[in-house]
Amino acid sequence: MVPGFDQSAHLIQELRKAVGMFYVDTVTGNFANVIHGLNANHLTDQVIQRSKRMILDTLGVGLLGTSTEVYHKVKQYSKIYSSDISSTIWGHLDFRLPPLYAAFVNGVAVHSMDFDDTWHPATHPSGAVLPAVIALSEAFPQKKKISGLDLLLAFNVGIEVQGRLLRFSNEARNIPKRFHPPTVVGTMGSAAACAKLLALDQAKCKNALAIAASYAGAPLANAATQMKPLHIGNAAKHGLEAACLASQDLQGNKQILDMESGMGAFYTDYSPQSLPTLQSYAWLLDQQDVAIKRFPAHLGTHWVADAASSARRKLVESSDHVLPLDKIEKVIVKVPEVKYVNRPNPNSEHEARHSFQFVACSALLDGSMSVQSFASENIHRPALRELLCKTQLEHPADNKPSFESLYCEVTVVLRDGNTISDRCDTFYGHWRKPLEKEDLEKKFQSNASEVLPPEATEGIIETVYNLEKVKDCSILSMFLSGQSARALSEKLRLL
Amino acid sequence: MPEMHYWTKQEAMAFPQSPKIHLGTEGPDVSWKLQPRFHVCTNISVNQQHMAGNITELAIYKKENYENIQPNAKTVNKSQKILASSRQVHKTAAHVVARSAPEETVTSSFASFIHAVRPEHLTKTVRYRSKRMILDSIGVGLMGSTTPVFDIALQYCRELYSSVAVSSVYGRPGMKLSPTLAAFTNGVATHSMDFDDTWHPATHPSGAVLPALLAASQMLPPSTKPNGLDFLLAFNVGLEVQGRLMHFSTEAHNIPKRFHPPSVVGTMGSAAATAKLLSLSMTQCAHALGIAASLAGAPMANAATQAKPLHIGNATRLGFEAALLAARGMEANPVILDDIPGCSGFSAFYSVYHPKPLSTPGDHHEFLLEKQDIAFKRFPAHLGMHWVVDAALSVRNLFINYAGSFSPSLIRTIVLKIPVSKYINRPFPSSEHQARHSFQFNACTALLDGEVGLSSFTESSIHRQELRELLDKVVVEHPEDNVANFDKMYGEVALLLHSGDVLTGKCDTFYGHWRKPLSRESLLKKFRSNASHVFPEEKVETIITMVDNLESMSDSSQLACSL
Repeated sequence: MVPGFDQSAHLIQELRKAVGMFYVDTVTGNFANVIHGLNANHLTDQVIQRSKRMILDTLGVGLLGTSTEVYHKVKQYSKIYSSDISSTIWGHLDFRLPPLYAAFVNGVAVHSMDFDDTWHPATHPSGAVLPAVIALSEAFPQKKKISGLDLLLAFNVGIEVQGRLLRFSNEARNIPKRFHPPTVVGTMGSAAACAKLLALDQAKCKNALAIAASYAGAPLANAATQMKPLHIGNAAKHGLEAACLASQDLQGNKQILDMESGMGAFYTDYSPQSLPTLQSYAWLLDQQDVAIKRFPAHLGTHWVADAASSARRKLVESSDHVLPLDKIEKVIVKVPEVKYVNRPNPNSEHEARHSFQFVACSALLDGSMSVQSFASENIHRPALRELLCKTQLEHPADNKPSFESLYCEVTVVLRDGNTISDRCDTFYGHWRKPLEKEDLEKKFQSNASEVLPPEATEGIIETVYNLEKVKDCSILSMFLSGQSARALSEKLRLL
Repeated sequence: MPEMHYWTKQEAMAFPQSPKIHLGTEGPDVSWKLQPRFHVCTNISVNQQHMAGNITELAIYKKENYENIQPNAKTVNKSQKILASSRQVHKTAAHVVARSAPEETVTSSFASFIHAVRPEHLTKTVRYRSKRMILDSIGVGLMGSTTPVFDIALQYCRELYSSVAVSSVYGRPGMKLSPTLAAFTNGVATHSMDFDDTWHPATHPSGAVLPALLAASQMLPPSTKPNGLDFLLAFNVGLEVQGRLMHFSTEAHNIPKRFHPPSVVGTMGSAAATAKLLSLSMTQCAHALGIAASLAGAPMANAATQAKPLHIGNATRLGFEAALLAARGMEANPVILDDIPGCSGFSAFYSVYHPKPLSTPGDHHEFLLEKQDIAFKRFPAHLGMHWVVDAALSVRNLFINYAGSFSPSLIRTIVLKIPVSKYINRPFPSSEHQARHSFQFNACTALLDGEVGLSSFTESSIHRQELRELLDKVVVEHPEDNVANFDKMYGEVALLLHSGDVLTGKCDTFYGHWRKPLSRESLLKKFRSNASHVFPEEKVETIITMVDNLESMSDSSQLACSL
């Protein structure tokens, strides 16, 4: 053995470490590095497939959302802005907005009914990212076409950043109490996605994250109000704004993800971790799929709906195929303790979407949940109100407020002392029991057909399914505005 | 595309329950004079003790339209008859009564304060102080319109939205932006050098409020322009709300660690101020606060970076957006300021939180500004720097008496006795924004130059060799009795000389602090120096006169137009 070999090996190791340190000395630098470094080759088949499902679902949900009151308000509000550069407002052929406000308005549409996807740890990942990247894609000069693959990559960067940030805190694992997660991680995800689409360099990616942090964080108390949809709209809008400001070379803190007084400000147990290496990058979406909702309400109510619907079936079977409403003594719903979804007497549509009790009673009455369940006349029908009075929540100690482990048990106690109950551990649409392709399409078609002609609806499905191959993703925006396929025959050839 | 991008009369009229706007209708308008009273009626029915104040309000409206109504309790019925005489008006009244159920929450107390407070509540001191703040804030903003960070913000806004331009941009005569973005850029200008005022508990109150009000005043249609007194009142509502919110948490009393206060309370203050200027209903005021809370809160880590001026720009802009959304009927949690267990409202930004109701103003309201004046900065840096600079200047004099001249070679060590505050403890700042947040830099600059001013923060000044050599000699100490609180802190600079001698300078209250306020001459000198960077002398003097006579200005948008 050559004397000194050990030493030089050691030295090389130290040197490598030092070089590594230079590039990735902070979690923030590491994130910037990864956002900047990821490319389309990193996307796995599963990630592509899952993210396309998310994109399609988000578009449908957003199109449907354009019919809501809250949407109408923000649209009116945003009309005060206008500019030469403009982006599509989903479902509107006749009016466009500057990209920032298009991202805002379309983001509000996506979350207007709480119908968009939910991830674990809990956030609504797609709504904060997709409206921003689509609006931004339209802001590029004509010559610079954004391909479907560019869009898909940027979208996934935005999703990935959200998922990673949610793993920086144990309290984020459970359903939140202080800040509404999409306003925290969604803003960051939108900034990352937009930074990616703008092809910002590493330093600017870092600044985009830092600037976005200054826009992040909205109190949870605004859940179940009209303000909640704005949280998603603002996450999309402000992330886009942060990326645009960073592209103008505005500088923020260089270690925003590393500091207690940076992203740590939003958590009580913050512990940032670096991302995996760029060689064969391990996407979170590969490991953890999203839940796709079947009806427009808080995810937690989906367990309740499934348990209540099967309890109803049993109940009807056992009493000559009629629902013995008058024989019901009480309804016991076992769910985790989640303060903002515990609403015995919801009065508005937004409150009903955040009420375990409401969903249990609606599903018992109707056998299933739908968009219609939240119409004012249904919220206020006497039969439902009567049943609500008989309903009580229980919080078993083993039922934790986590979308990974929560369950729901619905027990109907009859006047004669008989009880009928059913339990749901995994509802249809949860990541453990994903929606079938046909059901996802059905949901999309039903949502989109509210505002788009059938050709545009089918055009979107086809475009999203073939997104990697689309040379110019502006075709997606055209369909989203409601232009029909015939007018787009020229564009379609690009597929 | 339709033409109506901004506040045409039709659009402005679309504001539900916004009394001012109705002024635009033809003929002597009854409804606007009466509308504020709906909420008055609500209050009367739920809370007798508010009556005195409401009657006074009635009396004021009376003077113009209802000669026969006397300002006493007997007139309530009569006035209700007048109310009922307009069907549409009556309907709205019923609506309001239904909506503002008498559940007394802290949030509703804030909403009713914002809604009910009137110009007469402004005392002489409050007017005086707030006008000083307005003038200083404008000056600082004009100066700030020459900074790179301002250029970035402006460039950004111009590229995206130039076509709905009605509101003025500081120092760019003729250039207009859409109202909220004008507020944004002017807010960035105000805080671009950290030269704007500081209150206790610590926040920068004026920059979060003034730009939004200036932009809003230009947005309203000509027939409904708020007068100078309306403007001053709205400004004070914005300050008051910020001040009250700062008292909800004991941790807010000290220099902050987690969230940058202007991004938290400033956003709320801007929402309150613009809600007042737009004459929103009480319910809308509550929603404006609720919406603003969702737009509040930026982490401290972005202090000492270019993102910090953005905090003020966004506070003023997003608070303004919140009020505009509320005016459009947007609803948020109506108890956002209250402590909601298991589901945080405004408390999300604090670890200690004790909300206190704000009393609905009767004949009298004591503004916090009455009790607690503001600190004006003499040079563009974090307020904490002002103590060490004054201490450094006095020890410098001692040293010059001792040695005949300022001779750094005689100094072995420079000891700074300062409070613990991580983000302003920077031994070797490398950027302008870091230098503005460095005790060490400011002390050494004062020692070296005998003053700290605008030019101290240029790239070349920051990187001077002589300064670096002094910085190398600095040792920081944190005496236990020196707490990070602008009401209690002090600055002490001791020079330990090679000879063994020790010279010490200490500052308990710097000139410009609320205990030792700037004289009118000093304030005007600062304003003139700031404003003259962008405006000719004549224009500078016009602005001073306008602010001096703000209460008597018939159209407050004149102020914004002159900037």
